Amino acid sequence: MPAKRISEHPVLEFQRGEKFFFDFEGKKIPAYPGDTIAAALYAQGLQKFTESKLLKRPRGFFCAIGKCSSCIMRVNGVPHVRSCITLAEEGMKVERQSAMPDFPDVALPCTPVNEHKIEIAVIGGGPAGLSAAIVAANNGADVHLFDENANLGGQLVKQTHQFFGRYEEHAGTRGVDIGKALAEEAHEAGVKIHSDSTVLGYYPEMTVTVDSSNSLEIYRCKGIVYATGATENFLAFENNDLPGIYGAGGVQTLMNEYGVTPGDKVLMIGAGNVGLIVSYQLIQAGVEVVEVLEALPKVGGYQVHASKLRRAGVPISTRHSIIKAIGTEKVEGAVVQGLDDDWKPIDGTERTVECDIICIAVGLQPDNHFLRLAGCETKHVPELGGIVPLRNEYLETTVSNLFIAGDSAGIEEATVAILEGKLAGAAITEKIKGPSSELTTIKEKAILGINDMREGPYGKRSKKGVNLCTFEGGCIG
Amino acid sequence: MTGYERTGVLDNNHIKKPSKERLERGPVVIIECVENIPCNPCVEVCPISAIGMEDINDTPDVNLDGCTGCALCVTECPGLAIFVIDCSEDDGCLVTVPYEYLPVPKKGEVVTALDREGNDMGDAEVIRIRESGMTYAVTLEVEKDKIWDVRGLKVKK
Amino acid sequence: MGCTGPEGEKMTVIVCRCEDITEEDILAAIEDGYCEIEILKRHLRIGMGPCQGKTCISLLERILKRELGTSSDKIGRPTARPPSRQVSFAILAGDDHE
Ligand SMILES: Cc1cc2nc3c(=O)[nH]c(=O)nc-3n(C[C@H](O)[C@H](O)[C@H](O)COP(=O)(O)OP(=O)(O)OC[C@H]3O[C@@H](n4cnc5c(N)ncnc54)[C@H](O)[C@@H]3O)c2cc1C
Ligand code: SF4
Ligand code: SF4
Ligand code: FES
Ligand code: FES
Repeated sequence: MPAKRISEHPVLEFQRGEKFFFDFEGKKIPAYPGDTIAAALYAQGLQKFTESKLLKRPRGFFCAIGKCSSCIMRVNGVPHVRSCITLAEEGMKVERQSAMPDFPDVALPCTPVNEHKIEIAVIGGGPAGLSAAIVAANNGADVHLFDENANLGGQLVKQTHQFFGRYEEHAGTRGVDIGKALAEEAHEAGVKIHSDSTVLGYYPEMTVTVDSSNSLEIYRCKGIVYATGATENFLAFENNDLPGIYGAGGVQTLMNEYGVTPGDKVLMIGAGNVGLIVSYQLIQAGVEVVEVLEALPKVGGYQVHASKLRRAGVPISTRHSIIKAIGTEKVEGAVVQGLDDDWKPIDGTERTVECDIICIAVGLQPDNHFLRLAGCETKHVPELGGIVPLRNEYLETTVSNLFIAGDSAGIEEATVAILEGKLAGAAITEKIKGPSSELTTIKEKAILGINDMREGPYGKRSKKGVNLCTFEGGCIG
Repeated sequence: MTGYERTGVLDNNHIKKPSKERLERGPVVIIECVENIPCNPCVEVCPISAIGMEDINDTPDVNLDGCTGCALCVTECPGLAIFVIDCSEDDGCLVTVPYEYLPVPKKGEVVTALDREGNDMGDAEVIRIRESGMTYAVTLEVEKDKIWDVRGLKVKK
Repeated sequence: MGCTGPEGEKMTVIVCRCEDITEEDILAAIEDGYCEIEILKRHLRIGMGPCQGKTCISLLERILKRELGTSSDKIGRPTARPPSRQVSFAILAGDDHE
């Protein structure tokens, strides 16, 4: 059995509601409330979600959070639906599409475009967006929060480990619980929450278009906080697109959010924190991790994460990389090789690793396509994971009243995302509703906290990066 | 570059060890967290403030004489990097390790003790088990010469 | 890393999943003198698929860096085109029905 539904887990409980069925190319597929189409199909052993456009290669999902479009399918006649973030429904008709979709062959559930005038739009309901929305709503602003997933909490929803960071900012608590607590707080603060709502584009003068459960909505706002998180990096090696090769975060979503294991034996590429943590969580879910490879001469993630993996008997091979995935329809193994000090593969060190899943954990890049569309000036800052928007001390971009927070502003971690959310939330509210001593206090506390987090050797890198893209002035004091 | 940066495995030279007298007096904490990471739950949870840390990025600085070996920090540390050893009784020593896998062993059950690389260190009996927030602190009885090596466990099939 | 395996057999290394652009295609384009992201996008359609380059552009950047040894600022940065995300056809059609 390649994939299976997790029935017992040491830290998670999967309460599956009443089973229902949908149709996949004539087969009845069982699903439970809360399953995405992709999760339900994967749990039934489906690995090939699409066929590639020109080369007709089989493709599986990759990111599982709506970023990569590797999982697009035709749902009730509508092509190009991201099956990884679309909930399965009773009686739904799902098919694989040929890569160039024909026009829809059914009448569409279309509503005319609606226009709304609001004060603050928060885009993204992860820790950064939720924190910003809570602060703004608690201080009298009219706040609408949009998230393309059915569940709020962003990356936190799948983090079953206890969090690092400051005790005050929930460290020592499991990410999944922090996500729930923040979502609850946002409801209580009166944030108007739109889940299943993808922000599509930006039009001048603070206008955003939103795909809200298949209807197009237009929001004219006074200000925007943009907090859409990050996308996982892809890696070049032979056969790197075979089904069975997934982003580590994608596997984490499948496993911890939907309770489906990816397969039996995993090869993890990358020993940064994401690679180490996801490996540990795979073992918790009862999956074997055969080896962790790292191209660098040393483990990139925290020693404590590496140590707990080693205690579980998992080897970590530094100065190693994958050169090839074996298989034609899906992964049947991998060829790995040692690297020399110039990153060149060393002849004679090739060996085959037995595995049916390959997880790629080679870093994240900020998701900020939208900001470039809005005309924000950006800069390439490797310390923050790639292209990032310029911002002032209060996280306002070069476009007035457009703020950023969290991973989309630069890859760091959840504590910083929460603090940045608070900072951006307070600063935008100040600009739109006027200053107050409470807002000033929130801003000051957040800045202090962020600076604290960036003091250590791991934080120093982010600090250097942030200094490279922070400009003076812009926002009111 | 030190070995653990490459392997992820600490050796006993990296760790602050209690004196022989302290070890014989009663249970005492062993913290295997040696990098400057932004983390402090261990400091916050210790009821007698035996763990010090000036800046959140410092490594925990434990006062081994003050520590009562209560093991509260064992289940609170997100790095699962804290252990407690107890050599105060004559027969056999106790090592308390964090555990977050299934199945959860029961008191009195004999499990396989593991070292820092997951190697089999022989059988060990579970003397005590405590849960907090789905993390277990499992206390194993091991021979005295193994207290510096046993850091994990595996339930027998 | 070239595009043929040890025995000279052809290897497939995908860089852009959406548009099926291989590393070989990119190396050939570089050989032909295309060496900026924006120009490669027009030439190969890399980064123009449904994910709008979210998955492939950073990898393309790394390949260009490796091959040309240039800094990211020289390679240039992709410009964004609306809509920021692939619109499912339901919505486009919805637009039409207006
Ligand atoms: C394996 C792993 C382990 C980690 N461990 C830790 C840890 O121990 N400690 C720690 O502090 N941090 C940790 N992190 C990092 C932490 O999870 C992230 O830094 C944090 O979640 C970033 O928050 P965010 O709000 O910026 O983005 P996210 O949490 O990614 O949230 C972004 C949200 O935006 C939504 N969105 C995206 N695009 C759109 C759109 N167009 N329209 C509408 N909505 C959209 C998404 O659906 C998502 O919900 C870990 C991350 C990973 C992957
Ligand atoms: S074992 Fe108890 S007393 Fe000792 S450091 Fe941990 S929490 Fe403090
Ligand atoms: S809680 Fe654990 S990981 Fe964090 S500083 Fe303390 S010992 Fe280190
Ligand atoms: S968009 Fe669904 S797998 Fe990436
Ligand atoms: S992977 Fe290149 S556009 Fe999507």
